[in-house]
Amino acid sequence: MSDTLVPVTVLTGYLGAGKTTLLNRILSENHGRKYAVIINEFGELGVDNDLVVDADEEVFEMNNGCVCCTVRGDLIRIVGGLMKRKGGLDGIIIETTGLANPAPVAQTFFVDDNVRARTRLDAIVTVVDAKHLLARLEDSHEAEEQVAFADVIVLNKTDLVTPEELDAVEARIRGINRFAQIHRTSRAAVPIGHVLDQGAFDLARVLEREPGFLDSDEHSHSDQVISMSFEAKRPIDPEKFNAWIGTLLAEKGQDMLRTKGILAYAGDDRRFAFQAVHMIADGGFIGPWAPGAERTSKIVFIGRNLNRPQLRRGFEACQAGVSQAMASHVGATTA
Amino acid sequence: MSQALDRQFLLDSRGTSRELGAFVVGAAFHQAGGAAGFALGDGTLRLASSNPATDWQTVEAHDGAVLAIAADARPGFVSGGDDGRFLRIGLDGTITEVARFGSKWVEHAAAFADAKTGVLACGVGKIVHLFTAAGEPLKTLAHPSTVTGLAFDGKGKRVAASHYNGCSLWFVAAKTDSPRILEWKGSHTGIVLHPAAEAVVTSMQENALHGWRLSDGQHMRMSGYPSKTESMSFTRNGKWLATAGAESIVLWPFFGGGPMGKAPTELAGGDNVLCTRVACHPQHEAVAAGFSDGLVAMADIPTGRILPVAPPGRGPVSALAWSPDGSRLALGTETGFAALIDFTPR
Repeated sequence: MSDTLVPVTVLTGYLGAGKTTLLNRILSENHGRKYAVIINEFGELGVDNDLVVDADEEVFEMNNGCVCCTVRGDLIRIVGGLMKRKGGLDGIIIETTGLANPAPVAQTFFVDDNVRARTRLDAIVTVVDAKHLLARLEDSHEAEEQVAFADVIVLNKTDLVTPEELDAVEARIRGINRFAQIHRTSRAAVPIGHVLDQGAFDLARVLEREPGFLDSDEHSHSDQVISMSFEAKRPIDPEKFNAWIGTLLAEKGQDMLRTKGILAYAGDDRRFAFQAVHMIADGGFIGPWAPGAERTSKIVFIGRNLNRPQLRRGFEACQAGVSQAMASHVGATTA
Repeated sequence: MSQALDRQFLLDSRGTSRELGAFVVGAAFHQAGGAAGFALGDGTLRLASSNPATDWQTVEAHDGAVLAIAADARPGFVSGGDDGRFLRIGLDGTITEVARFGSKWVEHAAAFADAKTGVLACGVGKIVHLFTAAGEPLKTLAHPSTVTGLAFDGKGKRVAASHYNGCSLWFVAAKTDSPRILEWKGSHTGIVLHPAAEAVVTSMQENALHGWRLSDGQHMRMSGYPSKTESMSFTRNGKWLATAGAESIVLWPFFGGGPMGKAPTELAGGDNVLCTRVACHPQHEAVAAGFSDGLVAMADIPTGRILPVAPPGRGPVSALAWSPDGSRLALGTETGFAALIDFTPR
């Protein structure tokens, strides 16, 4: 079923980071496959592809009472138009402007039924400039969100910094988003296989490549983006989880950039995959747990103002059989 | 109609059909000679004369997909494509380029087909470009965001465009161009004008319609759809607005004070299949409707009687159009099936 959906790669990154260089590299290496490339008319460089679509990044707010539910209407139209063309596409690559917040692009693929019926968001790829990233992160929320939203980070222009500086930049990236794949490169020389067909939004692969749980007790100070993850050994009660995550996203969705989880529901042999972009959530059963494997539920948060103890207690209270007293205790502390 | 006809699909007894091999994006008829044009996702237009015995002509018009088709102000059609070109296609298949917009898509095409005062229009990004019947640039009308729908009123005096946060109404012949802007927050994705210019209605991203009564700007909200409405059509007398997007043909009453506070009439429903296209008959109070399983049916609105036109199984219906005299119906599907149905009395 999902094989018939056209994969979509979103390419973000600050002006000058090397997005268009990477895009042209992907397109030139990609013999025999047919991609539609959606660029903004203020793109840095020309794009060398047969099918290039000029888009105005037109974001609008959904009328669903959710202030952070913003969607790119231009993408809905363009995807609809591309699907009318004869002959299938092997993929769609969307290049955003340097200043773009990735949330509306990602949310478009959750919200619009027609887009969901024909495409799947494959990965958000963020290109960052090793020399300038730290300065950008200081002065721009967008730069931080581009890193936070990334499934793949292309750490570019490594030749312009010392090895120590490079390590410092990577550590800073990890501080924001410890779950993204990072590829170091100069001149955006990343193999296509590291960028396309990642399946990062494919529920079946969510969290599969997640690094070990290196829990430390750092707190999110000021409004810096950080990421954290939690585990639960006992099966999750779906009703408790839905109630908890629903309330959490409704109340704090603006700060929660991305949430992903693989859950072991009580009495079910299948894995339940959950993910959200701000308040917009999606979930479904994926393949069964491996026979004999430990059924550990995991959840990951990337966002601002995350309260680690509160989130941990909230998640742990979703385990089946955990007393109501515990759950209500968590409710009380949240309030 | 005879009893026998009621039990079978008109396609079998009175249809001419073709497998065209590409997404049928739209269909239109031209008054002159009753020729029909189908616009396809492979960039071609297919022209069918009123004589069912003749072959359909293939016109290689656009490099990419055709995105819009309408009857031209002259004999023939106008089309817009994702190659950025706005074309007029003569009934003999000759192509004339009206304008070229580079890498921008020409997503909307419309024409007011009146030999004297004919006007052509196309929507490209945020701009609606108007041309004279001779194809000369007339004016450019700018909007705050991309135009998502384009419609002329019944007299060709006004043109309406939907966009984010509402729609704009322009007078074609105005000396200074300032639109009447009708506002409602959100993404409006299509537009239709009441035939007597009493109201304008847009479809919205949130599976609902929004309308404005033009006399006083009164808002109308029409909601409850399970999916987005991609097709709307007023009956000739303007009494009903037929709409797609539900598991039936949803008809809103535009008489006796309008649709506010009233439930719509639903026809041809109950099959768990979404209505994808509607086209009201140009003379009678009847509507043709296409569904996502390929079914096409005609509903007589006063009696609710349903006439089966084409059976399911040939892909979601993506194009539906009546000839101006109502004697023929053109239909097309996403998988490339196209047909012309003859409704002339026998």
